[in-house]
Amino acid sequence: MEATNSNPTSTAAAELLCGVNAKALLDSVDAFLFDCDGVIWKGDKLIDGTPETLEMLRSMGKKLIFVTNNSTKSRFQYANKFRSLGLSVSQDEIFSSSYAAAMYLKVNQFPLEKKVYVIGGEGIVQELQLSGFTALGGPEDGEKRAQWKSNCLFEHDKDVGAVVVGLDPDINYYKLQYGTICIRENPGCLFIATNRDSVGHMTDLQEWPGAGCMVGAICGSTERKPIVVGKPSTFMMDFLLQKFNLSTYRMCMVGDRLDTDILFGQNAGCKTLLVLSGVTTKSILDDPSNKIQPDYYTSKVSDFLNFLGE
Amino acid sequence: MVTKAVVSVSVAASITSSKLLINPSHRFSCLKSLSSLNSFSASALAIKCRGLSNCTSIKSARTMEGFTTITRASAQPLQNADELIASVETFIFDCDGVIWKGDKLIDGVPETLDMLRSKGKRLVFVTNNSTKSRKQYGKKFETLGLNVSEEEIFASSFAAAAYLKSINFPKDKKVYVIGEDGILKELELAGFQYLGGPEDGGKKIELKPGFLMEHDHDVGAVVVGFDRYFNYYKVQYGTLCIRENPGCLFIATNRDAVTHLTDAQEWAGGGSMVGAICGSTQRDPLVVGKPSTFMMDYLSDKFGILKSQICMVGDRLDTDILFGQNGGCKTLLVLSGVTTLSMLESPSNSIQPDFYTNKISDFLAPKTATV
Repeated sequence: MEATNSNPTSTAAAELLCGVNAKALLDSVDAFLFDCDGVIWKGDKLIDGTPETLEMLRSMGKKLIFVTNNSTKSRFQYANKFRSLGLSVSQDEIFSSSYAAAMYLKVNQFPLEKKVYVIGGEGIVQELQLSGFTALGGPEDGEKRAQWKSNCLFEHDKDVGAVVVGLDPDINYYKLQYGTICIRENPGCLFIATNRDSVGHMTDLQEWPGAGCMVGAICGSTERKPIVVGKPSTFMMDFLLQKFNLSTYRMCMVGDRLDTDILFGQNAGCKTLLVLSGVTTKSILDDPSNKIQPDYYTSKVSDFLNFLGE
Repeated sequence: MVTKAVVSVSVAASITSSKLLINPSHRFSCLKSLSSLNSFSASALAIKCRGLSNCTSIKSARTMEGFTTITRASAQPLQNADELIASVETFIFDCDGVIWKGDKLIDGVPETLDMLRSKGKRLVFVTNNSTKSRKQYGKKFETLGLNVSEEEIFASSFAAAAYLKSINFPKDKKVYVIGEDGILKELELAGFQYLGGPEDGGKKIELKPGFLMEHDHDVGAVVVGFDRYFNYYKVQYGTLCIRENPGCLFIATNRDAVTHLTDAQEWAGGGSMVGAICGSTQRDPLVVGKPSTFMMDYLSDKFGILKSQICMVGDRLDTDILFGQNGGCKTLLVLSGVTTLSMLESPSNSIQPDFYTNKISDFLAPKTATV
């Protein structure tokens, strides 16, 4: 499965969601794909009206799927997060980029005797282990320090056959060096990125550097381009289409980010709805330099509740 | 030999804005507004590297995609060192892989430098390594028994401070540094206020609800270089400054993918830290180190030397040799560092220096032994 990043073909301006087109949208789709950060929650704070909206959509018989580029948690850990926020979402409905990385390796028959070095969080490590792979690195390497003395060699495991890079708040030089040496020196070593989001709402009050930062660092030291498994690559879409029997034109992707969520939906032929409750503002959407226009936009997911009340 | 000289001279003479070696529409865009080879303009001398990865900008030089360049003849083995020495007035030396490897001097270097000086040649040392200031490099040279003064050394740490000076960066603005001590010292010497540096390497983040990271709104430039104390705190601080402080500059000392911190192996280089900030800001940096010609223009102006009178000696094709070519100098690749003969001769390499040799002490032999 190849990671893609095609340019959008639609350039007509996004329509503001209102009573009429919201009803039409609901009638025309069987499934909603939701991004999480900036759509469902911001950091660890739920966005107002989300639980009621999701319940309403379920009661209308709509399938709900959650597709997140945030690789810090596994699907299991995400299900726990949903539960702690009062949302009833099962693991099977969640597609995190941590899961996507493990699935990519599985689908491409990555040998089980090879190892995976992780520059990222526990989520990636757990998903790899669930798929039977041996994961090195991850959060515990956040405490390691490199030594640079003459005659002192930085050792690395020659059995590492893939380096997976995702959001890593514990990034340090040791990890950068370990990942770099594996990619540069282990023959055929894969360089996989969970995603390349530049920033995200890791906390409710502000944006923080995303995986795009850590991936950019490894690109810089290896002079290689990564295989991207998260949005806007269609890898996760192909996966979930196989799992649920759906047609993409009967799906609506709801997200807060143009160059991942909306592009992801457009690449697959879904309808797309941008919410302004996350990283994108109306002025960014309207800016002449922006070439990505979703079908619709609205302030937040719970607007559906208002529109259907009209 | 004559053919080579013609190529070099025609390149040097026709560089008005370094278009020949850089495709403005593709990866590099040269912001120079030089009216002659010898003057340097304060308004944007750094070559901007487009794209998120170091490799895309360098690869475009290698693949010659969309370039309108002269096709260079293959590098010649250096067989007549005396002729090369006689034809130039100044030698610019890279340091890592040319003079030393880690903390070990490369054989024959002291004698070679002495010989060149005795022939009246000016020696300049240009390194992308930003961990030390010029003064600290001076000490390193001294410890290794080499007679080199501070004024002959141009590290990318110095280049960053010199660049800010050249654009009259306001003294009431601050500079946030993702990098090591060398950058801090040079900024201080130039009279700039700085924040960050190694001590921010100890600062930790807790991504909790209600936590807001503050940043100084007076930061007008973020300087990014090689940083062994790299962490998420610094990435966020630099990112906030670049994204939120109006007009904040994003300056990279260099974008080397790997560096020889120790003589035994390669280490992730400044290109890694710069790549990280490109990733989070989606902005391209102003690069002051090699292969940008900023340092070349600076020292040719400072010493009043013509670029055709300079020979750049380095071990790295995509920084040292490209630097020399971009600047219109003669170029000599030494194989005592990161580049091997097979890398030079590989079909995927399109950067051909004028000459190559094993190491600089080959200058001492009247006719160089076969490489």
